[in-house]
Amino acid sequence: MEGVAAPVVAPGLHTTMWRQLYVVVKKDVVNELRTKEMLLSMFLFVVLAMVIFHFAFSVRAHTDLTYFTGGMLWVTFIFGALLGLNRSFAHEKDEGCLDGLLLCPVDRVTIFLAKMIGNLIFLLVIQALAVPVFSLFFVSRSYLSDLPAFLAVLLLADLGVCSVGTLLATISMNTKARDLLLPIVFLPLIIPVLIAATLATTAIFAQTASLGSLGSKLLFLAAYDGIFMLAAYGTYDYALGE
Amino acid sequence: MESSRSLTGAPAASAAATRASGLARVASAPLLLAAAGACLALGVLLGFLWAPTDASTMGFSQKIFYFHVPVAETALLAFGVAFVASVLYLRTSNAKYDRLGMVSVRLGLLFSVLVMITGMIWGKAAWGVWWAWEPRLTTFLVVCLLYAGYFVLRSSVEEEGRRATFAALFAIIAFVDVPITFLATRLMPAGLHPVVFTSSGAQMDHRDLIAFLVSMLGMSLLFVGLLRVELAVERLRDELYYLKNRLG
Repeated sequence: MEGVAAPVVAPGLHTTMWRQLYVVVKKDVVNELRTKEMLLSMFLFVVLAMVIFHFAFSVRAHTDLTYFTGGMLWVTFIFGALLGLNRSFAHEKDEGCLDGLLLCPVDRVTIFLAKMIGNLIFLLVIQALAVPVFSLFFVSRSYLSDLPAFLAVLLLADLGVCSVGTLLATISMNTKARDLLLPIVFLPLIIPVLIAATLATTAIFAQTASLGSLGSKLLFLAAYDGIFMLAAYGTYDYALGE
Repeated sequence: MESSRSLTGAPAASAAATRASGLARVASAPLLLAAAGACLALGVLLGFLWAPTDASTMGFSQKIFYFHVPVAETALLAFGVAFVASVLYLRTSNAKYDRLGMVSVRLGLLFSVLVMITGMIWGKAAWGVWWAWEPRLTTFLVVCLLYAGYFVLRSSVEEEGRRATFAALFAIIAFVDVPITFLATRLMPAGLHPVVFTSSGAQMDHRDLIAFLVSMLGMSLLFVGLLRVELAVERLRDELYYLKNRLG
């Protein structure tokens, strides 16, 4: 692969990489916008999960779910993301797109970054639609003053979910078990993100957040993202296989 | 199966030598295991009879420390060995590192289950409940679930080169995740249960320390002995597979 890639990439390494990244991400986004299959099913799943949480937890009249909101939100998003991660490689594999992508003179790390950014975009779109619905259903207090912190939690946790998720989805796509394997390997690895994001989000929704305690969770999430993006960067070549 | 990948990456002609060294490994294992048994027994005796009974609220239940903590550290050692073996496998594609990785994860998982069982016993004695979401116990639960996924992953890939690569990749990521998970469980608000497993190393009586170190040595020897037996078994299994394939 490198042998083929070298002459094309050499002239302007960085601009070429950014362009390749843009093209592969655009391919995923255009492909999704044509069918809207994944976005629609992810959104419906996320809303359904919220409704199910309501019935599962509202065991008494006027139950205050404030201290469950962070957990409900992140369980919903992590399972929703799983749905998307499985789909993101199903097309590539079934239609033989991945072979074509691998034959292109594109660095494999660029493929990883592009797939990760694609998954991140889809997750953010879902969250942009789902968070207002969630707030309407479950959050009784206004958290507008904490909105920047909340957006930071969303973005950092999503980065963690998508970096680990993309790497593991690539592996599981190449196995017999496929979508059965992904949750089994993905969920234990994502527990740290779930813990930090849940604590931070609950604190924001319940308005008990102090800048210091939020800062430590954001820092933790950023560190998690950095470590796993680095790990994915170092190992993605092997995940894609020959 | 390719002959170059059949056993340790050595040519098939040296199969007899490999078998001999495999058997030698098994033969040396009983010595290691006997030494491990002796150290563990001595550690327990020292812990129970010589080391002072804990003066704090834990009292006699603290004695499980001489078993529980060495098991926990050996589990982490096993996952560390698997991590190194996995990195080496990705660099060399030598099947012996894949075997070492797999066997280490298997033993690590076994020791992790032991950590949880002994942790639960200690929890029952110290806090009166079988299960508490204490950071270290929780971490080991997550670790067990994580490394159980390693075997699900292995069983769902048929082609052996790819299976070894994916398994190595996962073992690397999983090992990176262990300290992160532990840190994350520390972020959780502390519950009713005090964290009693603080770093008591510095406050330890020298008799405690000696009993602990003897147990630790015993547990490490047990790990190495089991590792040798398991490695030899896996090696012979690979050889058998290779010979069967040659016969048709």
